[in-house]
Amino acid sequence: MLQVQNIEKYYGSKNNVTKALDRVSFDVEDGEFLAIMGASGSGKTTLLNCISTIDTISAGKILLDGVNIADLGEEELAKFRRERLGFVFQDFNLLDTLTVEENIGLALSLNHRDPKTVQDRVRNVAGKLGITDILPKFPYQISGGQKQRTACARAMVAGQSLLLADEPTGALDSKASKNLLKIMTVMNRDMEATILMVTHDAYSASYAKRVLFLKDGRVFNELLRGERGRPVFYHEILDVLAALGGDVSDVI
Amino acid sequence: MTLSKLSLRNARRQAKDYLVYFVTVVLAAALLYSFNGLVFSREVRQLSETMDMLSLVIVLASVVVVCIFGWLVSYATGFMLSRRSRELGTYILMGLTNRQVARLFFLENLAVGGAALTLGLMLGGLLYQILRAILFAMFSLPYHFSLTLSFPAAGLTLFYFTLIYLLALGKSRKHISKMKIRDLIYFDRQNEGVVIPAGKLRRRVFCLSILSGMAGTALLMTRQLITGVIGAGLLAALFGFFLSFASGVPSFFEKHPARKYQGQTLLVFRTLASKLATMGMVMAVISIIFTATLLIEGSGLVFNGIFRGRAAENACFDLYFGIEGEDPAPGSYLEYIKGNIPVGQSVLYQVYLCESPAVRDYVSSCTVYYYYNYDQDPVLRWSDYAALRSIAGYPAVEMEPGRYLIHCMTYLEEPLRDYSQPITLGDVTLTPGGVFTEHLSQSFGVGNGRGYILVVPDEAAAGLAVHHLAYAAKTLQPVSAQQYDALADITVMEYDNQVNPSGYAFVSTRANEAAQVAVQTALLVFPMFYLALALSMTAATILTIQQLSETDRYRRQFILLRKLGMARQEMEHALGRQFAIYYAMPAVPPVLIAAPFTFHMARIPEPGIMEGMSSPVVIVALSLALFFLIYAIYILLAYTGLKRNVLPE
Repeated sequence: MLQVQNIEKYYGSKNNVTKALDRVSFDVEDGEFLAIMGASGSGKTTLLNCISTIDTISAGKILLDGVNIADLGEEELAKFRRERLGFVFQDFNLLDTLTVEENIGLALSLNHRDPKTVQDRVRNVAGKLGITDILPKFPYQISGGQKQRTACARAMVAGQSLLLADEPTGALDSKASKNLLKIMTVMNRDMEATILMVTHDAYSASYAKRVLFLKDGRVFNELLRGERGRPVFYHEILDVLAALGGDVSDVI
Repeated sequence: MTLSKLSLRNARRQAKDYLVYFVTVVLAAALLYSFNGLVFSREVRQLSETMDMLSLVIVLASVVVVCIFGWLVSYATGFMLSRRSRELGTYILMGLTNRQVARLFFLENLAVGGAALTLGLMLGGLLYQILRAILFAMFSLPYHFSLTLSFPAAGLTLFYFTLIYLLALGKSRKHISKMKIRDLIYFDRQNEGVVIPAGKLRRRVFCLSILSGMAGTALLMTRQLITGVIGAGLLAALFGFFLSFASGVPSFFEKHPARKYQGQTLLVFRTLASKLATMGMVMAVISIIFTATLLIEGSGLVFNGIFRGRAAENACFDLYFGIEGEDPAPGSYLEYIKGNIPVGQSVLYQVYLCESPAVRDYVSSCTVYYYYNYDQDPVLRWSDYAALRSIAGYPAVEMEPGRYLIHCMTYLEEPLRDYSQPITLGDVTLTPGGVFTEHLSQSFGVGNGRGYILVVPDEAAAGLAVHHLAYAAKTLQPVSAQQYDALADITVMEYDNQVNPSGYAFVSTRANEAAQVAVQTALLVFPMFYLALALSMTAATILTIQQLSETDRYRRQFILLRKLGMARQEMEHALGRQFAIYYAMPAVPPVLIAAPFTFHMARIPEPGIMEGMSSPVVIVALSLALFFLIYAIYILLAYTGLKRNVLPE
């Protein structure tokens, strides 16, 4: 579904160039749940922004279903984002003037879907994510976990094929995190959503089927869960992180 | 860094962030100074005796204007305080005392106020010159530009400003001194309260407000109830409308979900509803201010129209007098004129009465017509009419034998053109021969008829009853105020001495009419526009401050919408619509209330004088145009500022 080929990203002026991404390549298959891990400054969010077409890459190619997103104009990019991509952010990013139902429905109305069907579609998705009760409430009236489930609903209600999550559990307590991750697993398994999640939390990453580790803008390692149980996978991730951390302290 | 340095830096930032507010305060200072300039100007007082009144009128108007600007500054200061409470809380957190922070806030506002005052005084100097030029032009005097600072005027402006600022800052100072750190830091996080909860109550309030608004305006037109009741009804209407609107929108959409998700409706109305929920009360006050502005502008234009309309009709001759009665004695007038006023051309003539009021009855049946003391149709001899036309400087006209002409005020032209009846004077019958409508002193009891006069061949007028004697002249120089007074004194003296026992006399001169218009305009119309300007500026500024303060929220919203795939064009569209509705909402009820009211008001004066540029439709259009011109400037400023920050290229 998604092919990232040798992408590079530089920031800064001529004399002071920061390399945020350095020849990063990987593929994401249909229906996959991929986590990207790395410490702060490792380039995770930059990578996600490039894939989500909010940021442009300096070199390389990003293909989504065979389409090179660099070839698209501004209008086409906007269309691409609203039809194909769903977003879940760390700080929820819900519009506080809209109710939960309207926040989810917004994605459909941006897609110019038939206004009459919006409410039914929203209710349908909300039912699957267990947020039917809070539909008439405003964001400031609900908990962080509920906000994040609302964001998940918004990210898939219009039939988007790729869900991009940027530290989705970053602002949640452990119970709400667990809840959200379970829901994302359900979305991935039962609702066939392809998920690309950026996180620095090993526990969150352990819910994915595959984990990529980024360090200083490069892919450092890759772990596949395979048939192993989640707790085992979690420990493996921790081991890789230890190696990453050890490497850092060695340098120091 | 010292406190004062911090204050100064904050002041600079404040002036930049709230540029629209700062500009308004500068304009406020300029406005106050320029009108104060009129109060203290000796040359303005010398324009006319009655201009002494001007100082009093302007000081009274200034008191109201100071209250209006006081409210603006107080509101804006309070608003900035709430926006910056987190920052001020952080100062306290870092170890400053409440008193120090209060002083900091006080100093920076004082710095902004001081800068605005200084700039305002400079701008006010120019504005004063414009006012002076207008005044001099009204009095037909030569104007020379001179830019000097009037110290008394500047002093009075400083006094007004001190009042405005001390009140506003005293309030916020008390507020800061009492506040706890927690309150300050979380001040901007307070949830918005819903003024009117959901359900029936809100629907009722909404319906009631619309009904009372309509009823109030209708009653105003028919003048069937005392103004107070109507005013109260209208206030309730506006408050009810804005308070119930915010809660009404969601309930409408609950019932019509499909409408909600159409295009950008959802975004636009939710944003507006949330804004209204917090500022419904302010919106209502702004709406009332706009209504007041429109009404004041409308009344100003109506008064202006009355003054000009009446004067124009009377000012067609350099010198005119009329004395009622069959055989009055114009001796003392003529003697004075002969001795004191050089005359180029003159005519002494009589205005006769027909035997019947046929034309009057016809006119009364077609339009509103006040005939005063003319019980029969007034008649002028052809030769006198021709002389009057020549004296007034109108082109000569022809009259065929066996015909009669009608000379009337413009408002009677249409019905009289359709009048085809012949008139019979003695044994002569005359048929209509044309209608003319130049000004001919036709609006008072001893003028050339009242609204209209019939012009007949000289011989046909022989033997008709005389209504009054009249005199019109073209003078070599404009008749001076002293000469006019002397002639008016003769009228009073003769009335007292019963020289012309049967009736009254009236003197008018072109110069005096012009001076009257100038004085009346200066005394009444100037202060009204002064008030209207202050009111509309204040209300538009508050709306704009409110709108611009949302810049960050809008920016965050549009960043998110961009990520969600909203095209730029759509975002611009949504922002524009949001903006248009936000600014239209407080302006629509005032227009609906004030436009019919002004139209009605412009029709109250006696017919015939509200013509051309003073006709009711034009007055309504002008007052709306004037209001929207100022409003548009603020809208444009706000829109460009907002768009630059929210949707950068």
